[in-house]
Amino acid sequence: MSSSSLLRSPSNLPPATALQLAQHAPKILENSPGAVSTSALESLFSATETPELWIIYENLLLSCLRTGDEQSAHHCLGRLVNRFGDDNERIMALIGLLKEADAEDNATLEVVLKEYEQILENDPTNIPITKRRAALLRSLGRVSDAVTALIALLDFSPTDSEAWSELADLYFSQGLYSQAIFALEEILVLQPNAWNIHARLGEMLLMAAKTSQQTDASKQLSEALKRFCRSVELCDDYLRGYYGLKLTTKQLLSDTKKSTKLPESGGLSLPDAATLRKLDGLATEKLGEITRRFSAGERGWQGYDEAEIAAARELLEKEGGITVR
Amino acid sequence: MAQLPPQTIQRDPQLFYWILFPITAVMILTGILRYYATVLMATPPKRLEQPAMKEQRSLMHGVALRSNFHALAAPSFKARREQLTTAYESGAYLKDPERRGQPAPNPMTDPGAMDGMMGMMKNNMAMIIPNTLIMSWINAFFSGFVILKLPFPITIKFKSMLQAGVATKEMDPRWMSSISWYFLCYFGLQFVFNFLLGSDNAASQMAQQVQGMAPQAPNMFGPGVDADKQFLAEAENLAVIDHYSVLDGVEERLLQDFSK
Repeated sequence: MSSSSLLRSPSNLPPATALQLAQHAPKILENSPGAVSTSALESLFSATETPELWIIYENLLLSCLRTGDEQSAHHCLGRLVNRFGDDNERIMALIGLLKEADAEDNATLEVVLKEYEQILENDPTNIPITKRRAALLRSLGRVSDAVTALIALLDFSPTDSEAWSELADLYFSQGLYSQAIFALEEILVLQPNAWNIHARLGEMLLMAAKTSQQTDASKQLSEALKRFCRSVELCDDYLRGYYGLKLTTKQLLSDTKKSTKLPESGGLSLPDAATLRKLDGLATEKLGEITRRFSAGERGWQGYDEAEIAAARELLEKEGGITVR
Repeated sequence: MAQLPPQTIQRDPQLFYWILFPITAVMILTGILRYYATVLMATPPKRLEQPAMKEQRSLMHGVALRSNFHALAAPSFKARREQLTTAYESGAYLKDPERRGQPAPNPMTDPGAMDGMMGMMKNNMAMIIPNTLIMSWINAFFSGFVILKLPFPITIKFKSMLQAGVATKEMDPRWMSSISWYFLCYFGLQFVFNFLLGSDNAASQMAQQVQGMAPQAPNMFGPGVDADKQFLAEAENLAVIDHYSVLDGVEERLLQDFSK
């Protein structure tokens, strides 16, 4: 397991895997070469340097921080600093991250923040540090400052999808749906086939529709429907996509029952009730299949998040009708 | 036809130790030295200033919008197009807005461009100087020596290559002079360097030569490119987009996929 999951970004790992990785950290550190010699003669005999090695160190560092094993994290960082020096932008961000993790109270965090600002004063284009600063501001509870920092970053680097998605999340946490939707759409401009972003945008639109006026709401609902459809079109058996699709069709079907006439929508046409019902049926069937196969422990159906499966099952049970085995 | 007796030349066996071996060793050592010299001389790529980065990435943003417009619904696309086109046309993203409309500066006077050229100069110098030195060293000390006989027969055409510096008309082309051995090393040591230093190292002269001969890829953001004109062209490209969305009819597509 270790090497393959170590190469993946650790923020996507389920907690159990991260913990497992962190527990194995001392062993992994022992088995991997600590430094790769650049000398010609030694490279003949020792292991060759691969980019994967350094990715593994970086991911292991993050996993260790996640599980609180700061000693191994310092170990990883030491090796990375040995190789790349402490003036590398990415390494600077990792050093800052470790300092944040070591900080006991907010006063120490403020000191780290000051350091970030110092670095940015010397080099305003240091993107990893800019992002760390925004994240630190957010964890200090200064959300509006974090938003300002991200907007400043996106002003000179509008092609950074990571920053856009963080901005979307910040806006969403403040309940600013239309701004969040804008930011998510920017990610889609940069990554048009990201099905998770399509589904996320659908979720955002669905939530926005609950709080907005009647005409706006129907527009947003129909776009949410299309976003969910696109997301499951791109990724078969995407649970969140089907879940959202089911919620949206349910909402739309009950809306059309109430007002009988279809509300006119600008730009996107709302499908008729028959199509909606078919989509609803499809989503129900798919959700049922996913939950059933996941619980049965079938091969190839195991990657789902437990909580999401439970939510899907609950939704289906509320619906009644379909029995979930 | 009577067989010609094979040519024999009495050579001092010491020739091997005093010419063949030193030339080879010197070539390998200079290759390795050159590698480390280029590593030492290499300047890290210059950091982009914030305005320059903004200029480049804003243009890339426009390109991304142009190529991925189908991911957006019509109103969101139109709003973005409106905003980007206005900004492009007003020159809001330009590195130095005062220079708008003026011809692009001469790349020779731009310090940023000079750095790139200096780097190229240094690399070329690192190639030329050692090669010239070795060449003259061999010419000064070993010219005219016939140092070995190839174990296979070759045609007369190779005479000029293998016997450079030995002007003997009748000699069999299989005999090799020292300067020819130098050329053979020059072209043949590639694999030795690959083995010693890892592939794509600076000592591999052939790679550099090939690189030098290949036409330079047009540099999108290089010196001497007028960013304002690029922005205007991009604004025009955005203006002519006939918008359609991937969201149009996605439900039917999805249902069709599953009814099959």
